[in-house]
Amino acid sequence: MKLAPVLAVLALDAVAGLSAQQSARFDHARHAKVFATCTVCHAGAATPAAPLWPDSAVCGSCHDGTIQARVTWQPPATPRATNLRFEHGAHARAVAARGTGASEPLACVNCHLAEAAPWMAVQRAAIPRCLECHGVKTAHLAAPDTACATCHVPLAEATGLAAAAVAKFDAPPSHQDTAFVHGAAHGAAARAGTPIAASCATCHARDFCLQCHVDAPEQPAIAALPRDPRATAIRARLSAPGSHGDGTFLATHGAAAREAPTTCASCHTRESCLTCHAATVRVAAAMPAAGPDRGIGAVIVRRPPPSHGADFARRHKVSAAVAAASCASCHTRADCLECHRPGAGRAAGYHPVGFLARHPAAAYARETSCSDCHNTAGFCTSCHARSGVVARGQLRPGYHDVSPAFIAGHGAAARQNLESCTSCHVERDCLTCHSVIGGRRFDPHGPGFDPNRLIKKNPEMCTACHGRNIPTR
Amino acid sequence: MKRAQIAVAVVLAAPGLRAQGYRLRLDNRAQSVSFRGVTLDSIPASDTVSGPGGGPATPDGYAVTCGSNGYCIFYRPGAEVHAVPISSTAGFLLWGLGLPGLSVHGLARRTVQAGDSGSWPVTSPAVELLEGYAEYATERVTAQLGRQNVATRLGYTGFDGGRVMLRDAGRGLDLSAFGGWGLARGFALPVTSPALNPLDEFRPQSRQLVVGAGAGWRRARFDAHLDYLREVDPSTRYFVSERGAFDLAVRPLPGWSLTGGADYDFAAGLWGSADVALRYEDPTGRIAAEIGARRYRPHFDLWTIWGAFSPVPYGAVDLSVSASPIRALRLRATGERYRYDDAAASTPLFDAKTDGWRYGWGATYTLAPRWSFDGGYHAEFGPGASSRGFDATVTFAARERLDLSAYGSTLDRPLEFRYDQSSLRAFGLTADARPASWIRVQLDAGRYAEDRRRPDAAAFSWNQVRAALRVILLFGSEADLAGVPPAVRGMPQAGTP
Repeated sequence: MKLAPVLAVLALDAVAGLSAQQSARFDHARHAKVFATCTVCHAGAATPAAPLWPDSAVCGSCHDGTIQARVTWQPPATPRATNLRFEHGAHARAVAARGTGASEPLACVNCHLAEAAPWMAVQRAAIPRCLECHGVKTAHLAAPDTACATCHVPLAEATGLAAAAVAKFDAPPSHQDTAFVHGAAHGAAARAGTPIAASCATCHARDFCLQCHVDAPEQPAIAALPRDPRATAIRARLSAPGSHGDGTFLATHGAAAREAPTTCASCHTRESCLTCHAATVRVAAAMPAAGPDRGIGAVIVRRPPPSHGADFARRHKVSAAVAAASCASCHTRADCLECHRPGAGRAAGYHPVGFLARHPAAAYARETSCSDCHNTAGFCTSCHARSGVVARGQLRPGYHDVSPAFIAGHGAAARQNLESCTSCHVERDCLTCHSVIGGRRFDPHGPGFDPNRLIKKNPEMCTACHGRNIPTR
Repeated sequence: MKRAQIAVAVVLAAPGLRAQGYRLRLDNRAQSVSFRGVTLDSIPASDTVSGPGGGPATPDGYAVTCGSNGYCIFYRPGAEVHAVPISSTAGFLLWGLGLPGLSVHGLARRTVQAGDSGSWPVTSPAVELLEGYAEYATERVTAQLGRQNVATRLGYTGFDGGRVMLRDAGRGLDLSAFGGWGLARGFALPVTSPALNPLDEFRPQSRQLVVGAGAGWRRARFDAHLDYLREVDPSTRYFVSERGAFDLAVRPLPGWSLTGGADYDFAAGLWGSADVALRYEDPTGRIAAEIGARRYRPHFDLWTIWGAFSPVPYGAVDLSVSASPIRALRLRATGERYRYDDAAASTPLFDAKTDGWRYGWGATYTLAPRWSFDGGYHAEFGPGASSRGFDATVTFAARERLDLSAYGSTLDRPLEFRYDQSSLRAFGLTADARPASWIRVQLDAGRYAEDRRRPDAAAFSWNQVRAALRVILLFGSEADLAGVPPAVRGMPQAGTP
């Protein structure tokens, strides 16, 4: 019963050992007495046509399972993914051709063995050693722009590098300064090379710049970089310039944009402007139109100004009248017509959901002016006609059945709510009684009626009741 | 010859069209709604019986009103009418036409109707051109030509014609003038359209000519604006209307504003509607309050006789307050009291109400970043009709681009002139999805239970499901953005570092 766990542990151990055997780095020091030279295994380091890695059969000559435990190592199938332009043979030849003055040709141990280290205490080539030989006096990431290309190829040429490896690139000290990233300094640094600084191209491709720059086609330095989607593995975190945080910025940015449109165009497309200035497209003319070779740039979130607080829809009339240009900065007339010329399919908007059921109260005493948005005849009367609540033909009592004498005392209600009356009644209903011609001659004119003025403006309406004998006062 | 001229013009214009930009917005809406009115019926007086209240009624219980002709009339509940209006509004903007500042604007709507034929208003004509004009704009001048609308205190005036606006930004001055052939009030059709004359009543024979002008002066502390509008019937040369208006906004102190204005009817010699409001908004947005007064007088065109019936205005005082005692809670309350001027038409036969009030209160509480609750009560009691009820909504922001809400409401709606006290209960669900920047979908489905309470057989109860769908699609030359992640997600709030 206890045997099973023991066997399981042994099995796991065996598997783990096999796995470690395959992936562990070659223990050079353990083989110090076996190999006298590096090129026994790494012939390619000296002979251009030879492979850099030994054949697995060389290992198998000892590790055959009898002399030594069998190993399953295989040389890498593909070259190491790197952005180094280093190649052992070429490097050795170049050193030899340059005539460094060294007493001996450059040997493997010059780079892969620390000073005074025993034979075969092999290590990776250390960057400081490269810098030392190449005369670079600074730290690696602070090296001058002219030094980068000595060892590195541009990112776009380092095709073997995965995006994850690009994301792990260490940032140079200069990039820690926010002013460098957010200000003009990085642009100046990029333009230091022709057409772009090699230090930029080593880690970046155009896609990196496109995360922020919408003016990429207009910037020769950016345009000189090839496209490479791996470049976005290094994420740009660009925040708005300090000027944009000024409380008056929204009010003054128009003048600033007119003064230096190219500055704005670094981060803003026309789309930025049109997010708010949908009605005044001319303000966006200086900005580049968004496109596939440009960055999206600043994504503007349109927010209502503080004046648009609760209930603004009800009280916007004065603002719209006195400052229409301000409204037009952000609103097209389509925004206005959304409510002022509502479509038939519209269920809610200015009015809340279910307003159809409660509209009589709001409409009777005109909570607001219905006719600003609805044509009484085309909208109110038309719908009331379909509902049977219009007077057709002879005017009869019966609908207003709360009071049997409503028709006799309706005058006050009519003068108060005449717009409501006209949503069900037409002129002939009223002329039945209120007409001199064929009616009962009940005078409908009330407070404020000025016949002389109305006759002057439009006597035609007077003739509806009075014919050609229009009286004056 | 003409074709050759067009071809030459196209060839000459082609180089300038390279930088053209456009935006197209398609707003598609549909709703399914039922309603139920009344049907006029009659019965010989000899067939009536005594109703429960002692008055005459039909044998099956409908209260009737009898005339001197031996017949009595009554209103049965109407048939259930089911309407499914579907409207698609296309708005487009075209610029970069070779001349800086030149743009073309258009807004057109197509409406079709499913459900019961002819059951919904404003579905004819099937295609409407709400706006369609060319605009040329520079720093100081804007000129527009085509179908357009001008918004002033005098209303939303539509016309086919031209408009010119001059600006002096340094002095804050602007002047405008426009003229053309007018459209009907509240509609994108000429007043002569049969669609606007459902009952075949008085109607002008020709479209009115519209001319108007405006002048504004804007300074840091105040804005002022004057408007004038004249409409003339070209066939008779008589006025359709002649009105003027002024608006004023004063900002004496930070957070304080005094706004107001009034319109004057030159044709009737009467002041029309007016309002004034004093408002305070705390800079932090925690409290806002407004007290105001207003006056409302309806305006009728002079081709109707209604202006001669002397409609009287009402005057009102109103107060509204909105406050956030804590960050997650917003309280609001509003109220208005109004009273009509003396109509000089009262009789002892019928006593109509002459005053009324409206009020409402509510609160919005953000329970959690994704959950919010809004509830409120509203009431209106005045001449003609009244209503009161509760509304409540719970909203869940399911994802960044999806909001789901559940709502419920109650409504009681007594009428003053007819026994038709209505009670309504409604509940439903809404969804608002924005799956991508170029599409938005809104859905609303609710169940309505209505109870018309009358003391006779015309009372009825019925339920229905109302649904609404809205799909907005955005297209544009700027929409072909590369798939590069943006570095800046938004503008900073004003005042933030």
